[in-house]
Amino acid sequence: MKTRSATVTRLLPRPLQITVVVLLLVVVLGPVSYVFFASVNSDLSVAAGDFLPHRLDFGNYARIWSTVDLSTGLMNSLIVAGTVAVVCALVSVGTGYVLVRFAFTGRVSILRALLALQSIPGTLILLPVFVLFASVANVLSVQIIGTRWALFITYLTFALPFSTWVMVTYLRGLPAELDEAARIDGASSFRILRSIVLPLSWPGLVVSAIFAFLLGWNDVLFASVLTNPQTRTAAVALTVFGVTQEGGAIPPYGQLMAAALVCAAPVVVLYLAFQRYLVGGLTTGGVK
Amino acid sequence: MTTGAGGNTPVPVSRRPETAAAEPVGAAQGKRSTAGDAVAGGLTTPAAVPEAQPARKSKRGRGVTRRQRPLWMLAPGGTLMTIVIVVPLAVALYISLLDLDQYTFREWTSAPFKGFANYLEAVRSADLVHSIVISVSYALLVTVITLPIGVAAALATQNAFAGRGLVRSVFLVPYVLPAFVTGTVWHIILQPGGVGNLLLGHLGVPNGLWLNGPRSFWALVIVQTWASWPLIYLLTLAGLQSIDVTMHEAAALDGAGWWAKLRYVILPHLGGPISLGLLISFLHNVNNFTLPYVLFGVPSPHDVEVLPVLTYVESFQNFRFGLAAAMAVWSLALIAIPLAVYLRVVRLDVGSDESQRRARR
Repeated sequence: MKTRSATVTRLLPRPLQITVVVLLLVVVLGPVSYVFFASVNSDLSVAAGDFLPHRLDFGNYARIWSTVDLSTGLMNSLIVAGTVAVVCALVSVGTGYVLVRFAFTGRVSILRALLALQSIPGTLILLPVFVLFASVANVLSVQIIGTRWALFITYLTFALPFSTWVMVTYLRGLPAELDEAARIDGASSFRILRSIVLPLSWPGLVVSAIFAFLLGWNDVLFASVLTNPQTRTAAVALTVFGVTQEGGAIPPYGQLMAAALVCAAPVVVLYLAFQRYLVGGLTTGGVK
Repeated sequence: MTTGAGGNTPVPVSRRPETAAAEPVGAAQGKRSTAGDAVAGGLTTPAAVPEAQPARKSKRGRGVTRRQRPLWMLAPGGTLMTIVIVVPLAVALYISLLDLDQYTFREWTSAPFKGFANYLEAVRSADLVHSIVISVSYALLVTVITLPIGVAAALATQNAFAGRGLVRSVFLVPYVLPAFVTGTVWHIILQPGGVGNLLLGHLGVPNGLWLNGPRSFWALVIVQTWASWPLIYLLTLAGLQSIDVTMHEAAALDGAGWWAKLRYVILPHLGGPISLGLLISFLHNVNNFTLPYVLFGVPSPHDVEVLPVLTYVESFQNFRFGLAAAMAVWSLALIAIPLAVYLRVVRLDVGSDESQRRARR
């Protein structure tokens, strides 16, 4: 049965199928494996355009921590993106629940806005936020720019609508009968949310938290303006790393590639671990 | 770890082909369904939405009720979103009407009011027009190039074969890599004397600068294509899953060759998901700041000065905040049409698909 349906549903002739798969694997894995090879290569060899290192040198992975303050960057990224993730996940359950289960004026507009907000150009938010934060510093003498709070607040701008949308799509899949039954039993809305919806929606919670986390982790625009060397995120640390070193004879390419791998690893691991849950959100478009 | 995830659940994207086939709307998720399902299923049926419109008017979907609405639960999210979204957007619009630069910045509320002068200056400046041309042409090019790649990848991995789970995981990698990492890596690959030039030399492409001058535009197109084709792949794959197996059987009975089947049976079904993919892809590309910024640095080469980078430079390098805000609003106008189409096409309301499902029965 299985084999029969496999031949029937085949879309491409075998040779063509193999060609496409192999070609794409080469195109994807070529640059990816190059990053690894370059990260264990000497800077001179990378500059000369060698694909494979002459001898493996894993020292770059030790050196990146002292050359550039990557650990501070990773720590800042972790703190900011992590907080954003937790806040977004928690807030989005309540909002998502109401949006999915209850009809009220403006509901569809809110749903539409949640999606539309994913496409707002980042600079359109960064500008006013920068001006507002600067005037708070002037008026109240509270310095926000340069602190992690600045990033936390701005990441919420994009992460909140996206997490809420992810929660909406998840909660739609839960049968409404469950909370209808609880309502008939006289449970309050909050009670239903806490004891019925919340326990059932942890996969949605995890997904919405992960996407909120990645929005923060992947951002360069906001972090490059709103942070200082103490609070800069891994993304900014990496870009700064690439630029500042170029005064020397040969930039530390090997270390740059090692640092790039270190920054990418958590993201790729997260995606591959949760891939069956995350794929749908990927195509909605908030993260990229 | 990757192999584990991919190997044991051989179909990361395409679970439940039967359910998907029986219920193309993807609305029938049970308890075990995931956000992934819901979104992928929901997004892939744009053509079906208009049919549902009249039904929605007359009949509310099951599970959506007007009774005992705990609207106060919207308060935390609503308040937060007002603070972090509505306020900044309003301020952005206001700033775009001001003569705000580094001199007036400290007292920005009393900066001279210019009306729409910033908007006029922005359109009249050659920079903005140039950036719009660059942004749109690169976004369209990448979108068009990724289309056949993504579709071919989905067609090639739709059927089970040994190692398919692993292949599918690998196909996701370029898309999930953070853009700042992609940019950093390709910056090294494409630099003069780098491995990219060497490799291209073997293929007969003359050496040249990829990070500066006219070729930088193509560098941006190539790298963004590399990074974004899996989007089309994912959406096409989701679309393929919604094709009923009887369609395949019918085609086989009719003795259709693979090309005829593809051309007349499969591809017509993929119109919805593919056009959705094209829209999202275009929106992504136009708004992409990180990749051009990291790949080329600022000041960026003239040939890749895309809109987000231009507004960034105008505000945080030239400190013309008012002008930059006007430019950002113009770029919003640029994406308004594709965005409006996108919002029409995506399934928004739960009620609509419920009633639509009933209508089909």
